[in-house]
Amino acid sequence: MRKVVIVGVGMTKFGRRVEGLMQLLSEASLAAMDDAGIGDKPLDAVYVSNMAGGILNHQTALGSSLVDRLSLLPAAAETVENGPASGSSAIKNAYFSIASGAYDLVMVTGGEKMGDVPGFVATDAVATMSHPEAEYPLGITLPSLAAMFTKLYMERYGITSDQLAMVALKNHLNGLKNPYSHIRGDFILEGVLHCPEAIVNNPYIAEPLRLYDCCPVSDGAASVILCAEEKAKEFTTVPVTIAGFGQATDHQTVHEREDPTDLKAVTLAAKKALDMAKLTPKDIDVAELHDAFTILEIAQSEHVGFFKKGEGGKAVEAGLTQIGGKIPINPSGGLKSRGHPVGATGVAQVVELVWQLRGQAGERQVKNASKGFSLNFGGFGNNVIAFVLKKGA
Amino acid sequence: MAVNLEEKLRPPELPMAPYPPKTVMLRDGRIMVVREASREEVPVLLKAVHPTLFVDSDFYDLVGSRLYSELLGWVKHRVRNEFCLVGLVDRELWGIVNSRMYDKNLGISLHTLTLKRGFRVGQHLFAAKMEHHMDFLGQNEVYITAEGPIGFRKWMIEFELEYDPNVQHELGGARSFTLTRALWEKHKPRLCVGRRPVAKELLDASYPIRIPDDWEISAQVALESGQKRAAEEIKAMERKFKKDTEASV
Amino acid sequence: MQDKITGFRCKKCKKIHYPYHDRCIKCKGREFEEVDMGSECELVTFTELTALPTGFDQRVLNLGVVEFPAKVRATAQLIGENFRIGQKLRAKWGLTREVDGEEFYGIQCFPVEKR
Repeated sequence: MRKVVIVGVGMTKFGRRVEGLMQLLSEASLAAMDDAGIGDKPLDAVYVSNMAGGILNHQTALGSSLVDRLSLLPAAAETVENGPASGSSAIKNAYFSIASGAYDLVMVTGGEKMGDVPGFVATDAVATMSHPEAEYPLGITLPSLAAMFTKLYMERYGITSDQLAMVALKNHLNGLKNPYSHIRGDFILEGVLHCPEAIVNNPYIAEPLRLYDCCPVSDGAASVILCAEEKAKEFTTVPVTIAGFGQATDHQTVHEREDPTDLKAVTLAAKKALDMAKLTPKDIDVAELHDAFTILEIAQSEHVGFFKKGEGGKAVEAGLTQIGGKIPINPSGGLKSRGHPVGATGVAQVVELVWQLRGQAGERQVKNASKGFSLNFGGFGNNVIAFVLKKGA
Repeated sequence: MAVNLEEKLRPPELPMAPYPPKTVMLRDGRIMVVREASREEVPVLLKAVHPTLFVDSDFYDLVGSRLYSELLGWVKHRVRNEFCLVGLVDRELWGIVNSRMYDKNLGISLHTLTLKRGFRVGQHLFAAKMEHHMDFLGQNEVYITAEGPIGFRKWMIEFELEYDPNVQHELGGARSFTLTRALWEKHKPRLCVGRRPVAKELLDASYPIRIPDDWEISAQVALESGQKRAAEEIKAMERKFKKDTEASV
Repeated sequence: MQDKITGFRCKKCKKIHYPYHDRCIKCKGREFEEVDMGSECELVTFTELTALPTGFDQRVLNLGVVEFPAKVRATAQLIGENFRIGQKLRAKWGLTREVDGEEFYGIQCFPVEKR
């Protein structure tokens, strides 16, 4: 299989945007195309990742729409849906299309427009990824699954609410350094957990998870341009290689997993990606994990192998996952602060890693970052994709 | 003759206890003073509210325009037993709520306007408003309505308000939901927080009310709502206001 | 209308599934028989949800994972309050939500009355 490199990246600011879904996808795509210096070069294919366009925006076939809007015809085009892992699934498809030799130059753009509808409608749209007979009919939402997981994880490993809040605090502070982030504001633990007003400042969403444990509902898009390694020199950017890929699935219902605290798909996907890149977790310089809920950053950091099981919370407390720490996690601000337009997230994680590996991350730059890791958590951990990226070709 | 006519034009007033000010710690440790505003402070409140009339998202324009007229009505003594609470951080106006007494027992909730978003200011001030009705004015019921879905979720659902199909709320005849004494006692511990008394220095330092830049709050609100056009219009109004003011000097 | 909680037992290896799978999780067999899971269960984990999805008018919704005898688990609505892990519950099949006029059914669990 051929080596695949990333030669262009771009994204929109995440948040509440007045632009529509296609406008956001175009904005991110043009930013990536300009970053790569595509000019008039034709693309072989475009993959668009999106979860809820059909439900929330009355739009489907986004890939077909985007290539027309950007005058990229007659490029091949698809829309890829894999819940919150849609972005990584689209990158995976693009990766294999080039690695196989079928295509040379491919764009992946992920986006979501979630802010036009009331919160309970967006919550419900995301909840459609739960089991249609055994979970959705009950009113199960992603926060409720995360909350039940958190309760078991806390009981088993002693994770505290303070440690969860520290994940959010770290990510909020990182997000303040990211011009593209949705949630821009710091807080103190006393203000959200310990003072008498905390019950209003930081209400429970799904006990024990509170407002500051949950990522926002965002609009936004992100885009990457991939090409075959041998063509990389035609473009003006520092190439970043996709050195490893891994994907694994698990039971859709959380209740059917033998040990609901065991994120088997995370462990397996991460191992596959690292093995393919011939690396271990210790070799990774910077990681973008999927902190849709603060507990997930801690749990994923353990299941990927950055920390032993049960040590992830203490690691956050000790500052090991800050930008200057032993293994910086979510320097972008993560889903918690950068935001979570569902179809865009997997792509945005890779965009951030590319900026980090190129040395273009500004105030949030991890020093000498040359190996990056991303984890995109589909469903509630039943479809997980991991990438390892290396600086250079 | 003129004095008698003015008396006839004013709604008959009930005695009203003052709202004891309190402080609330916000998410980043900053302290918001929640106190009653006076009629003398209405001009600066109107100035803060005015630009929201042009923000066409989250019902800011409707809430802003109605609140504007209610504040005018209050200062000109044309609204019965209205009160207005403000949330101030370093004297800066972060939110306004207003309400009135219908009679000794019943209150009518009017409006809640958040000027600084992202700090749960609306939740804190709405609860303070209910606290005044129930705990200090001695009332037992409040009629509440909501112009938009945010208000509906935060009040009707959070307080489990009772819908009464026989009541038209005075705000446009909208559906009215009632906060009863029982509901207040049930939800107050979770929804109404704050600390009293407020130190005299802190309370004195909350006067006079400050708007950071005449139009900045509403431009910020508009920008955060993704309303680029509204924010630009507000900035243009600011430039014109400044030019007109300079020209008239 | 279904009124009991139905599990699906693989005819080959006897593993009970909830929900239905077209191939057995354990032996990949394709033939199943319906089995009444009964009403006794124990609470494994739960949450009180306040950010509800479409179709609910109440303020909170209690949800949980319960375990039936033979170690079969399910997700359920919990009707009541003050739940705790390990609590014994009584399960029944019932109307759980309505979305745009469409009715949904699932497992609802109630605290067992103290005798």
